[in-house]
Amino acid sequence: MTLDFSIFVEYGPHLLMGFWLTIKIVIAAIILGMPWGLVLALGRRSRFLIPRLAATSFVEIFRNTPFIIQVFLFYYVLPFYGIRFPAEYVGTLALAAFGSAYFAEIIRGGIDAVSKGQLESARAIGMSDWQAMKNIVLPQTLSIILPPLTNQTLSLIKESAILSTITVHELTMSGMRVQGEIFRPFEVFIMVALLYWGLNETIAILMRKLEKWSKKGRTSNQDSAETLKKGDVVR
Amino acid sequence: MTRDNMETDAFLSLKNITTTFGSITALDDISFKIKKGEVVCLIGPSGCGKSTLLRTANWLTPPDKGSVTLDGFSIGSKRSKNMSRKEMTALNEVRARMGMVFQQFNVWPHLNALENVVRAQLVVAKRSRKKAEDKATKMLHDVGLEDKIYDWPDNLSGGQMQRLAIARALAMDPVLMLFDEPTSALDPELVSEVLNVLRRLADDGMTMIIVTHELGFASQVADRVAFMENGKIIEEGPPNEILKTPKTQRLRLFLDKLNITAFTSH
Repeated sequence: MTLDFSIFVEYGPHLLMGFWLTIKIVIAAIILGMPWGLVLALGRRSRFLIPRLAATSFVEIFRNTPFIIQVFLFYYVLPFYGIRFPAEYVGTLALAAFGSAYFAEIIRGGIDAVSKGQLESARAIGMSDWQAMKNIVLPQTLSIILPPLTNQTLSLIKESAILSTITVHELTMSGMRVQGEIFRPFEVFIMVALLYWGLNETIAILMRKLEKWSKKGRTSNQDSAETLKKGDVVR
Repeated sequence: MTRDNMETDAFLSLKNITTTFGSITALDDISFKIKKGEVVCLIGPSGCGKSTLLRTANWLTPPDKGSVTLDGFSIGSKRSKNMSRKEMTALNEVRARMGMVFQQFNVWPHLNALENVVRAQLVVAKRSRKKAEDKATKMLHDVGLEDKIYDWPDNLSGGQMQRLAIARALAMDPVLMLFDEPTSALDPELVSEVLNVLRRLADDGMTMIIVTHELGFASQVADRVAFMENGKIIEEGPPNEILKTPKTQRLRLFLDKLNITAFTSH
């Protein structure tokens, strides 16, 4: 069979609309999910029982159930309690919640990878717990967690395809619509795949730049960063 | 914080400290005092509890039992997880006035030398950046790091990192300095540059507690040497008496062992 890419003259804009929505959803999910992940990570390390228990339960539930089930629950259960959002909002929320559980574990691992002496020296000089975290531990965590954070972000982008199952008109859904009209699955899904790939590659390159910047003047943290990159993360 | 008149003669006082780690008793009902301007060296075999005693002084390792007072003010008498926000704040204020230097330096690798010394001045002592930088520059000069001000810790030698850690602590204008085996992680040829800084501090009248294996150094700078074993202070007194004419068999054995290693390693 011959591939006919001229179909994108007519249907390209439709795919690009879906692509644009995917980008918006993923960015919103990251903006919501990363700070929430930090909150969860700190919650899991809290000396108080209730925040520790709440954060642990959240992370364990979202890490140990399929994303598609979480999406269905968000989509069908929230309206039951009178909370009605458009599908793309619900989908973004689900994606943020799912991502935050993984972000939390990455951040927690990063905090643990900073040697105990760093926190101790900060506390010994009179810093409060939070001052020590903010000034000494978290900045060192950053260069350690960037590689696994990149992995998780890329996998979040791919995971967003699942939102097509709750009628969110993102890239995958657009692809299926176009394919349903013109029955050219190869061209359509190759194009969809290329768009996902382009987005991921762009993000990976940006994150590598950020990684370099975060290591300015330093070499010693590279070892722990490598360890984390290889182990852990992605299901 | 409450003033305790009974303790005014002692600058820092640790009373009836008992610390256990699981089934191990690290400190066994120890009491320890130090006067203003005094330099005390803690010696003893590894695992005897000398580092734990030092870490009790600034409540980094809260004991199971006992209390610590600095200049008559209570530092702590309970586990930190049971402390109220107010008690925590008071503890942080006292800690800021007690400098601590660690065996592993614990300089902050994401900050350059100047910023290592500046950061706590800004965050804890709430000094202006200008004031903090001036102070830091002076402190780095005092420990002989004037040409390393903008260097990253990764580019410093062990001795330089330890001197940076000392400058960082001194910038907070501490009234007491705690040294936890400050030269144990150093290559032999770097030990003296750190000991020289300590020696000058002692000459300037700084109150210091030093956990060390450097007996020669201890005999030179210490006003008092305390020998610990199994979580207790076995013997203490002026360095001449302690190191030259030990009364207990245990201290004699310990000194013999150190002298033998001193001979074989030099």
